[in-house]
Amino acid sequence: MRIIDITRRSARNLKQAKARTLLTALAIGVGAFALTLTLAASNGAQSFVNRVISDNFDPTEIIVAKDESILGRGDTNKPKEYDESFGSAVVNSGASVQIKQLTDKDIQKIRQYPEVSQVREGVTLTLEYITRPGAKKYVANAIDFSPAQNPEVVAGAIVKPLSDKTVLLPEAYVSSLGFKNPQEAVGKSITLAVRKSIDIASILQNGIPSNTNDIQELAKSSSALEQFKIAAVLKKPTTSQPGTELYLFISNKDAKALNDIAKIGTNQYRKYTYAYARVKNGENKANIATVQARLKKDGYTSQSVEETQKFLTQIIDVLKAIVAAFGFIAVIASVFGVVNTMYISVLQRTREIGLMKALGTRRKDISRLFRFEAAWIGFLGGAIGSLAAFLLGTVLNPWITKRLDLGTQKLLIFDLKQISILIVLLVLVAIFAGLLPARKAAKLDPIEALRTE
Amino acid sequence: MIEVKHISKTYGKKDSLVTALNDVSFNIPEGSTVAIIGKSGSGKSTLMHIMSGLDHPNSGQVVIAGEVLHDLKGKAMDAFRANEMSFIFQSFFVEANQTCFQNVSLPLEISELKQRKAKVTEALAAVGLSDKINAKASELSGGQKQRLAVARAIVNKPQLIFADEPTGNLDSVTGDKIIDLLFKLNKTNKNTLIIVTHDDELAAKCQIRITLKDGKIIDFKQRKKVSK
Repeated sequence: MRIIDITRRSARNLKQAKARTLLTALAIGVGAFALTLTLAASNGAQSFVNRVISDNFDPTEIIVAKDESILGRGDTNKPKEYDESFGSAVVNSGASVQIKQLTDKDIQKIRQYPEVSQVREGVTLTLEYITRPGAKKYVANAIDFSPAQNPEVVAGAIVKPLSDKTVLLPEAYVSSLGFKNPQEAVGKSITLAVRKSIDIASILQNGIPSNTNDIQELAKSSSALEQFKIAAVLKKPTTSQPGTELYLFISNKDAKALNDIAKIGTNQYRKYTYAYARVKNGENKANIATVQARLKKDGYTSQSVEETQKFLTQIIDVLKAIVAAFGFIAVIASVFGVVNTMYISVLQRTREIGLMKALGTRRKDISRLFRFEAAWIGFLGGAIGSLAAFLLGTVLNPWITKRLDLGTQKLLIFDLKQISILIVLLVLVAIFAGLLPARKAAKLDPIEALRTE
Repeated sequence: MIEVKHISKTYGKKDSLVTALNDVSFNIPEGSTVAIIGKSGSGKSTLMHIMSGLDHPNSGQVVIAGEVLHDLKGKAMDAFRANEMSFIFQSFFVEANQTCFQNVSLPLEISELKQRKAKVTEALAAVGLSDKINAKASELSGGQKQRLAVARAIVNKPQLIFADEPTGNLDSVTGDKIIDLLFKLNKTNKNTLIIVTHDDELAAKCQIRITLKDGKIIDFKQRKKVSK
């Protein structure tokens, strides 16, 4: 028999048992539904990660650190030998740890690399407060602005590189600082206060004071007040690194200067946890690899943007695997449904099979007839499941985006190619499920099948 | 010419051995009408199954047009059955949910023949069901269903048609019509018609009458012409 005739006959057979076909297909559909949503969600998450990366990182830059643990490497259970580069840092869990930090010497050394065009110290600065005349004081952090970052602007404009003594202000501060709207804030000045460390110069000049009050006074220290002009107001970011939503952006030069004021005289002075090394022709991955190899040789640890992306994607992959596992379990369960349905179909059509065999139908064609029938069930299930997932996803997408505050980012992204591949796979699974019933049909003895009692 | 040579067939093992056919031999000229009669258990169905290649004999040969039937292997046997034979059954075995066209086109699909539309139309016309071409088989009466089965049997112009109790499920008037139809087609198509029946009246209309009892031929009658 020709394939087209077998296909048509198997489709017709299914039509004759609509309810049964539909119910069996629905079992597969549940799996298809779960898998389609999983794929869509992981597409969305992947796209989100990609946006976080492209909005925050320059692909030609490498993150450099001296301490392995800062990039999640190295053994934190082993005592570390002290050297002068150690400084304290607060890790994500809130604990303060001693880590090796980059000094000016390190920065200079990396600047000398022939493949490196620029090295930028990573400065995250705890401001004492920010304020402006007539407004209350608010705590804040400032970070040096990387030209790779593309925050969304509500008012004003970002000049790259950021001009000195200008600040990019998160939208949340606008009303706190007493502005009516973001537009009004642009161009206005705010005061950034940095708490000075103990005044070494005064101690050197006057000696350590002898009375307690004076020591307390010295320890209280004072604040340096710097005026910054608001260049732009930033929208609440959806793709920033977590925890940095309220960061003020200032130029690298200003960040370093304020940092120096805050840390002079302490063991943190001119020490940086991270630095960003820009690689010449960094679009070429080979150049990035060369610099990373050199950094490793010199005792630094580094992470390329690609590696950062991989690290973030890893988490998504694990979640994806978990949901996909449930989908697969649903598909495996539905396989038994298909086997059962196909056996019933063979049983119901014993006479028809007998007749066809008596009329000279090849065994392989009989087998094909049932495998195709199973394939149709698989196709139907896949199509119903993925269509349902698509419709639900399309309806829910705006709501999810709103609930998760994702801005323009969609959580569920449906890829027609993926869905097609999924359906093809489900068809193959269904054919596999139909193998035994099809074999039974092919082996039927026509004499037995046609006996009429 | 169909030659049946020393066919024997037994079922079961030692203790419960049943001899269905015991050294059966006869010849049938091409284009003749043959009745195989006998009571149930006489071996007539087994003989039909062996002659059509559905079953294998323990010993002996069936030679159809010079071809030793049971020497054909797998694919060749299927092709032979698809092109040279067809069947009509007591309970019709038409697919109730399919249209008349779909029912009749089955043998054409199996033998991958072209011009199906023309062939099916011609076959349905020959049995007087032209107007039912797109009707579902379930809408037909018993007699119409059997006529549909006849159309299916003649559509690919086989040289050999087996009819297993073709009138068994029909009333006598309808049954006679079917028989008349089969004889008429036998004349126009020049195919050999082998009817398995226990109906002596029907058997009497055939040119050759083979009577079986306990797996043996007890009577073989041949007439030169069919009496009307």
